[in-house]
Amino acid sequence: MVEVLSGPTGRGSYSGALLEVENLQVEFHTRQGVAKAVNGVTYSVNPGETLAVLGESGSGKSVTAQTIMGILDMPPGRVAGGAIRFRGVDILKLPEEQRRRIRGEGISMVFQDALSALNPVFPVGWQIAEMFRIHRGSSRSDAKKKAVELMDRVRIPGARDRVNDFPHQFSGGMRQRIMIAMAIALDPEILIADEPTTALDVTVQAQIMGLLADLQRDSNMGLILITHDLGVVADVADKIAVMYGGRIVETAPVHDLYRNPAHPYTKGLLESIPRVDLKGQELYAIKGMPPNLLEMPSGCAFHPRCPYRREDCATAVPPLYPISGTRGSACHYWREVVDGSR
Amino acid sequence: MGRYTIRRLLQLIPVLLGTTFLINYMVWQLPGDPFAGRCGQRPCPDSYVSAMRAQFGLDQPILLQYWQFLKNMLSGNLGVDFNQVPVVTQLADAWPITIRLALLAVAIEAVIGISAGVLSGLKRGGFIDNVVTISTLFLLSLPVFVTGFLLQWLLGVQFQIITPTVSDEAPIMELIVPAFVLASLNMAFTARLTRTSIVENRRSDYVRTAIAKGLTNRRVVGVHLLRNSLIPVLTFLGTEVGSLMSGAIITEGIFNIHGIGGLLYRAITGQDYTIVVPIASLLVLVYLVSNLLVDLLYGVLDPRIRYE
Amino acid sequence: MSDPSVTQDLIHGGEGPAASVVSSSNRPRSLWQDTWDILRHRKIFWISFIMLILFLLMAAFPSLFTHKNPDYATLAKSMDPPSGEAWFGYDLQGRDVFARTIYGARTSIIVGVLATLVTVILGGVAGVLAAYYARWVDSILSRIGEIFLGVPYVLGAIIILGTVAPAQSSPDRVTIMAVVIIVLAVLGWPILMRIARSSVIQAKHQDYVQAARALGAGPFRIIFKHLLPNSLAPILVYSTITIGSYIGAEATLSLLGIGLREPVISWGIAIADHTSYIRTGAHAMLFPAAFLSLCVLTFVMLGEAVRDALDPKLR
Repeated sequence: MVEVLSGPTGRGSYSGALLEVENLQVEFHTRQGVAKAVNGVTYSVNPGETLAVLGESGSGKSVTAQTIMGILDMPPGRVAGGAIRFRGVDILKLPEEQRRRIRGEGISMVFQDALSALNPVFPVGWQIAEMFRIHRGSSRSDAKKKAVELMDRVRIPGARDRVNDFPHQFSGGMRQRIMIAMAIALDPEILIADEPTTALDVTVQAQIMGLLADLQRDSNMGLILITHDLGVVADVADKIAVMYGGRIVETAPVHDLYRNPAHPYTKGLLESIPRVDLKGQELYAIKGMPPNLLEMPSGCAFHPRCPYRREDCATAVPPLYPISGTRGSACHYWREVVDGSR
Repeated sequence: MGRYTIRRLLQLIPVLLGTTFLINYMVWQLPGDPFAGRCGQRPCPDSYVSAMRAQFGLDQPILLQYWQFLKNMLSGNLGVDFNQVPVVTQLADAWPITIRLALLAVAIEAVIGISAGVLSGLKRGGFIDNVVTISTLFLLSLPVFVTGFLLQWLLGVQFQIITPTVSDEAPIMELIVPAFVLASLNMAFTARLTRTSIVENRRSDYVRTAIAKGLTNRRVVGVHLLRNSLIPVLTFLGTEVGSLMSGAIITEGIFNIHGIGGLLYRAITGQDYTIVVPIASLLVLVYLVSNLLVDLLYGVLDPRIRYE
Repeated sequence: MSDPSVTQDLIHGGEGPAASVVSSSNRPRSLWQDTWDILRHRKIFWISFIMLILFLLMAAFPSLFTHKNPDYATLAKSMDPPSGEAWFGYDLQGRDVFARTIYGARTSIIVGVLATLVTVILGGVAGVLAAYYARWVDSILSRIGEIFLGVPYVLGAIIILGTVAPAQSSPDRVTIMAVVIIVLAVLGWPILMRIARSSVIQAKHQDYVQAARALGAGPFRIIFKHLLPNSLAPILVYSTITIGSYIGAEATLSLLGIGLREPVISWGIAIADHTSYIRTGAHAMLFPAAFLSLCVLTFVMLGEAVRDALDPKLR
């Protein structure tokens, strides 16, 4: 039996990548057919590293995260293939009880909408304390004390007085802090943040991102940041994986990607960010609609919308061509994209 | 909360006045002479009728009668029936039996209805779900008296497990089958409401969070899912306590239980309106107050509800 | 999971492949088309539909099912059990139980349907008015509704019927049926008012209604063109189920001796007449009771099938 969380290897002594997703395939069975929501996704995260997974809704970025967490609704969802290795062990093959213990202790998750993600009928302190009571068997009072400490740590003013308040009594930003406090309560090695700032005001967004970055630095967590917002990731991410139609279309260290995208989709995304220095010019928009997962375009899923399209794009699925180091692009004509000749 | 309670209590007053007035009006003003059949085969002597009319205030205009009724009710004086037996005495005999029956029925509703609903909601489309869906459909379609007679015939006559009728003291054991009959309809509603609520909440974000926290399945369902899903169910059960009491009329009739329902029914068919009016008003009061209590309970169960 | 609509729904609700999975492949379709599509594939719908046709035929042309005269009594055969000659046996007065049960369908369905119709008209009008005019109209109508709901159903019916048509009186067929219908409707309208009111209020705040208002459409046009169609679906579902429960209520009142009575032929009366013979001749009671329950079941089942098809989320 493989014990993932403790045992001979012990924490931090594993030599490979902390979390590896390899060729993951997830399908949804619907009345209209099978939707391949995740179609061969591979990425990895190391301690202290931040991976940003970028993509629009339906690209498969959240489904991948839910599969890692083991909170995918099955059915209709189904893992059709691939592996998710946490500290070298494929957690998809673990019995449910062991997977449960990894949740919260090893890998934990922050959701987009903290108002609906927190249980409305329990005090926030109780919900944080529950982590200690279930995973560590702490007493009520101990757990509550730790909950207050955590609320302090995520910078909730007057934590001691607010520990018995209910989620709806907090502002959006404070609620997300509580969500984060709950997620980091047991010092997980991987934190997945699924659109953690999308529901928040811009000023609050920056605070939350800052908080996440600080917490990560303090505890050397691996952070998977899922977002559709290029602006959010620039400052905090180490590397980026761009997803489109259930596949990763580009991976790159964050600065390379911003400076010189190697996939037409990434390029389109970057060009559609409004910029002050280009005021007055028409804003670029990727033409067409996101793909329908039930009727995926043949060949490269992006080809109907792609300005670099050639004939073979509609027939041959592009692999993730290695460019240099950790860079890769799933475009047959990535050189033209990098060169900027359109 | 306190101010809300007071406001709700104040709102209760017009409804209570309206309802009791309606009952008074319907009972006393509609045609038919309540004293016509009180003297055997012969018509009653005029002197008796007018004496009775005077005693019960029937010679006065309706509003005055109603005023008198309110004054009596408020002072706790429920009056006497046409045979000059105090209404309070009759109530004191019947009330405990009906309360016992109603509480037993609520307990049955809650236990069976909630468990059936939870089991079927957790495994949607499964075997238990189908059984619950179909059996609740039948329970909802069978009029209470059909269920009553059927059980009485099956258990009492065919298999002789129970006595077909309940004895005067109405011990708990004899009340179980009648309470089940009384509960049958609401039990089906409870099961369905619970199921719907579980199904809705099961896919909710906070349940997903609870799973992501690494809680055991038992705890996710038993604490997080159940606590939220049962809010509407408990309020439904609460509201129904009030109407169970009057719904008991039929069940009490079938099993010959001497509760409020039976008393009321005999009074109406015997046109003894002096009992009808106070008992009906009392039932309405119980109904309205239980509704109010349920609203307040709702606030306790769901911290999001704020009373202003 | 056997139900495909659920799956679709889950995908819609989920974070994952979101709306783009499903929506772009389907043309926009009307609510009714969608509902019919789901209904067509439901066994429960077809079962209840066939049962409904049977009961309606029974009500319209009872002679299709039996050649016997339901009123013809042979006292010598009183309470004879079921036999080849009389499938359901004979009742207390020696009348054929099968014939009486068949003929009873008419009364029950007429009372159920008409009472529901009156309920829908009363409650629907009150609900639309309350929702459209809001303010004091709403407060007054809602309070009146609460007063009627404050009288528990059976209690209210007993009080009204016990005074309008006391057990000792013997009104003619039409009168007593009309009285029962009105009593059922008078006690039942507030629930329908609530349904109509809430669906109209919902529709009222929709942008297209606001737009129609801004364009100067009059209240009648708005009510009939925009608001009523919106509340149609829930009202339809509720009234189908209500027909069933009114049929049950009619039987209950007849059982108590204050609803329908001889010479009307009704399941409730048949049951009431034989309650004391439960030990010796249960057949005279069980057969009408079974038909009564099946008839109620038909309407409830039909209503629920339509409701589930309209709102697949709850299945």
